[in-house]
Amino acid sequence: MLAALHRRFGYDERSAALLVFPVVAVLLVVAAFPILYSFWVSLHDIVLTRPLRRPFVGFDNYLRVFDDQRFWVAVARTTIYTVVTVAVTTLLAMLVALLLNENFPGNRLLQALLLVPWATPSVVNGLMWKWIYDPTYGLLNALLLKLGLIEKYRVWLGDPDLTLLLIANAAIWKQMPLAALLIIVTMKAIPDDLYRAAKVDGAGVFQRFLHVTLPALRPGLMLVLVYETMISIRHFDLFLIMTQGGPGDASFTLSWLIYVETFRSLRFGTGAAMSYILAITTFVLSWAVIRFLGRRI
Amino acid sequence: MKIETAPFSRRALSLGALSGAALAGSGQGARAQAGGTVNFIGWSAAVDQVRAHITAFERATGVRVNYENFPWAQFRTALVTRLVGNAPIDVSWVSDAWLPEFAEAGWLAEINDLPQLMRYNAEAAEYCTQSMTYRGKQYGLSYYGDHMSFMYNTDMLARAGIAAPPTTWDEVVEQSLRMKQRGIAEFPLLLSLAADSWLIEFVSALTFAFGGRFVDEQGVPVMADANRGAVRAARFLREAIHTHRVLSPGAVETGEINGLRAFGSGAHAFAIVPTYRIRALNDPTQATAAGKIRITLMPKGGPNGTNDTCGWIRFYGMTPGAKADRARRERAVRFMEFFGGRDTAGNYSMQKMLLTDIGLPSCALPLALDPDVVNFWERWAGGGAIIAQQSTLARKKDVISPWFGEWVETSNQAWQTVCLGRAEPEAAMRTAAAKWTELRRAFR
Amino acid sequence: MQATPRRPVAPRVMRGMLLFCFSALFVLYVAGPVAWLVSSSLQSEAEITAVPPNWLPPSPSLSNFEAIFTAGERQVTYETRRQGDAATGGFLPSGASNLLPSLWNSLTVGIWVAVLNLLLSVTAAYAIAVINFRGRRATLYTVLATRVVPDIALVVPLFLVIRNLGLINSVGALVVTYLAITVPFTIFILISYFEGIPRDLYRAARIDGCGHWGALRHVYLPLSLPALVAALTFAFLTSWNEFVFALVLTQNVEAQTLPIVISGFIMDFTTSFSFVNAAGVIAIIPPVLMAVVFQRYIVSGLTAGAVKG
Repeated sequence: MLAALHRRFGYDERSAALLVFPVVAVLLVVAAFPILYSFWVSLHDIVLTRPLRRPFVGFDNYLRVFDDQRFWVAVARTTIYTVVTVAVTTLLAMLVALLLNENFPGNRLLQALLLVPWATPSVVNGLMWKWIYDPTYGLLNALLLKLGLIEKYRVWLGDPDLTLLLIANAAIWKQMPLAALLIIVTMKAIPDDLYRAAKVDGAGVFQRFLHVTLPALRPGLMLVLVYETMISIRHFDLFLIMTQGGPGDASFTLSWLIYVETFRSLRFGTGAAMSYILAITTFVLSWAVIRFLGRRI
Repeated sequence: MKIETAPFSRRALSLGALSGAALAGSGQGARAQAGGTVNFIGWSAAVDQVRAHITAFERATGVRVNYENFPWAQFRTALVTRLVGNAPIDVSWVSDAWLPEFAEAGWLAEINDLPQLMRYNAEAAEYCTQSMTYRGKQYGLSYYGDHMSFMYNTDMLARAGIAAPPTTWDEVVEQSLRMKQRGIAEFPLLLSLAADSWLIEFVSALTFAFGGRFVDEQGVPVMADANRGAVRAARFLREAIHTHRVLSPGAVETGEINGLRAFGSGAHAFAIVPTYRIRALNDPTQATAAGKIRITLMPKGGPNGTNDTCGWIRFYGMTPGAKADRARRERAVRFMEFFGGRDTAGNYSMQKMLLTDIGLPSCALPLALDPDVVNFWERWAGGGAIIAQQSTLARKKDVISPWFGEWVETSNQAWQTVCLGRAEPEAAMRTAAAKWTELRRAFR
Repeated sequence: MQATPRRPVAPRVMRGMLLFCFSALFVLYVAGPVAWLVSSSLQSEAEITAVPPNWLPPSPSLSNFEAIFTAGERQVTYETRRQGDAATGGFLPSGASNLLPSLWNSLTVGIWVAVLNLLLSVTAAYAIAVINFRGRRATLYTVLATRVVPDIALVVPLFLVIRNLGLINSVGALVVTYLAITVPFTIFILISYFEGIPRDLYRAARIDGCGHWGALRHVYLPLSLPALVAALTFAFLTSWNEFVFALVLTQNVEAQTLPIVISGFIMDFTTSFSFVNAAGVIAIIPPVLMAVVFQRYIVSGLTAGAVKG
């Protein structure tokens, strides 16, 4: 039988199977069951305070979710939050990568410093920024007052118009290093020849960036965009620590809605349905980015 | 880091533990379990006290305790996950607000058929026992019971030339404005209005003080009623923040802990705070305003105002899994008795320790006459008379129901939007009432 | 590095100034908040709640750190219990003694996850990036797809899985879980880097008689050092920071990681800001140390002549 398999699947295919197997095994054991189980739950009307009736309802939960006004509020919040976070993170990361890619004394020190925000656990990160934003003791108030930008201490996180942006700021601060790192790694692989050729052609700094660096960064950028989108859209820790969905519904994102529905309202069925809607959206977005920016994939 | 010492009570406790051990050795020796474990989950409060009492319990009964605790903010999530995942929990702390939900979900076992525990009802405050009863069945023994108190800073009142603390909420505003004028405090009134688990208790206290309620005896929502509901209280909050400016707009991000610290640092003159916090507020090692905080009856609000306040209890609940298994049930019962009732020496030692260490009032009636307890209130609150009177006026939240967890989210958002000035009080309360009706109907 | 012809002075000075400016901004942005964290961890509770805030600690003291390092395991009895409410900051929360053990747990889990991650994802990334096999795209998308469902939705079923494997409250549970959540992305990182390596090198290696293992060992691995380090760092830091799964899968200090213990201090009755900040500083130090050690390898990739052609 082995000989038959050998004939059917070429050397390439067999190697690939072997090389990919360990990953698939781990994912099967740990990830497959929870994912499939939540899908199964999303097809049933499961409310924990009513444990004896768990009817199968097909896609009813999903329809109910689309009907829920809170869902659309959460979509709006999540969209703003994700767009802002991803855009600013990528932009900042690009600038930082350009800076750190240059050769100058102290470059190494800066590269080491880069990892500090990333090394901060989200719990500590959330607390730290909450403390900075504090209306009575916070650093932000003190700083702005000193600089003369505000007249007196004001409320930051508790101001519903600013809440999302302030949380995004904390997220961006923490995520930027990874994005910058990925871009730097890609940048380092750009051959010097390309730059020299461009210079010979008379290209200035900005043109070199536009025509040599940017195109070569496509895989790196794709990586960053996909990852940042995937995690920003699902951000939960910061919301749990900083605002718990408030004030009002200012920071009521999809992740928070899922948490509330599952653990506070004890409605596992609709909670799972919401998760799947979010999951599918994330997948489609990632696929779109990969399609447009990826090379062979 | 300082450690408070109270030598005489420590000696009394350790004597109690010794005699308990002696009792366990002699009389109960024949029946004592030689082993076994009780799995107990609580939130991360009074951890040292629980641990100390567990040590005594293990010595007295020979039963080991596997104690887990989670931060309060994540407690419900962690507990629900474990209950759904069938983790081997025997006893857990439960909030009175969750009782109907957990009972309906089949996560709590009734204890009506366990006389060893039920006999403590005779010595417990009626209100406490009622809070642990759902549909005629009792589900636990109390851990502690408390209510919201209206506290004020005597020093700040004196500086403003105010002779007596306010008796109505109008007076609260008046006195606050006077203090603002004299530059004594920018926001004399402090309320913790962050959307955490305490918010419903704060707004319930305020609503009851304004002579209103959320839901009537039949469970029909009246919160949107202009006369009998929560509208007056909500309007008061909005005006306090936006019109009189005696309450900071930052209140919507102030949680109970931060509120405590702010009040203890002497930045505010009036606050609604859980009574047990007075122990920390008047302690010089814990707060700068120590010695200046006093309690007065909850001010009345509006034309139908009362001195009522919101009370709550937290209790020990047993899981059905523990109850079904004979050995586990026996151990769980002994644990619950040792912690929620009397210990093996016959004393309410845990309740007393919680009171003297942290200020948590207990449900055990005999303790009220205990000289140590009387001294405690004398020392930390300037006397226990008002507290005792207020506790008779404490009502349990009228929104406790099998859909509480879901409804309170809508309610919290409604109150917050009122405080943010983004919704009219009537409209916000109507939203909350509509949600209540919807959930109640769906539950049938 | 090639010798560059002497450039005129003015643009060089401009460049220097620009670099300095941006570097300063960068340092401020990245290190500023953390500097504040460090500063407040050296202050006492009263100093921290001063208005306006003390930028630098007026009387810096290491008492918070001391408390963390000397909080040993103690048998809590009536005599040794700590009275009073830790919410006001004058007291050490009971969980203080758990901080160092949880630090150790976090380190252990992080290192295991990082190393195992490399073993698993290098091979898979190579296969997907280099080998043209049926279901290449499907494999990648499936692997990525395991990461689109939000974590909170997976919490309860994951608890069930781990419980059935008998791994609740063990470091193993965390390692296995974190592997599953980091592998998809490390594969992705490596794939995108592998694709940048010229295919000619691969073909040359195959012609020379190398099988896939050979190509991997001799061509791709040596040239991917920066990406490997990036992947390692990613895996380690993700494990270091993770909160929700750790909360649910662990019960006590045997397996609890740093974020869980720290959240226990802050999220409720036991808040002492200066102490929490000290704990936060401790939470940052090990990863930063590791980063300082490893960042050298990220840079070394640039001297790989073959890639630069």
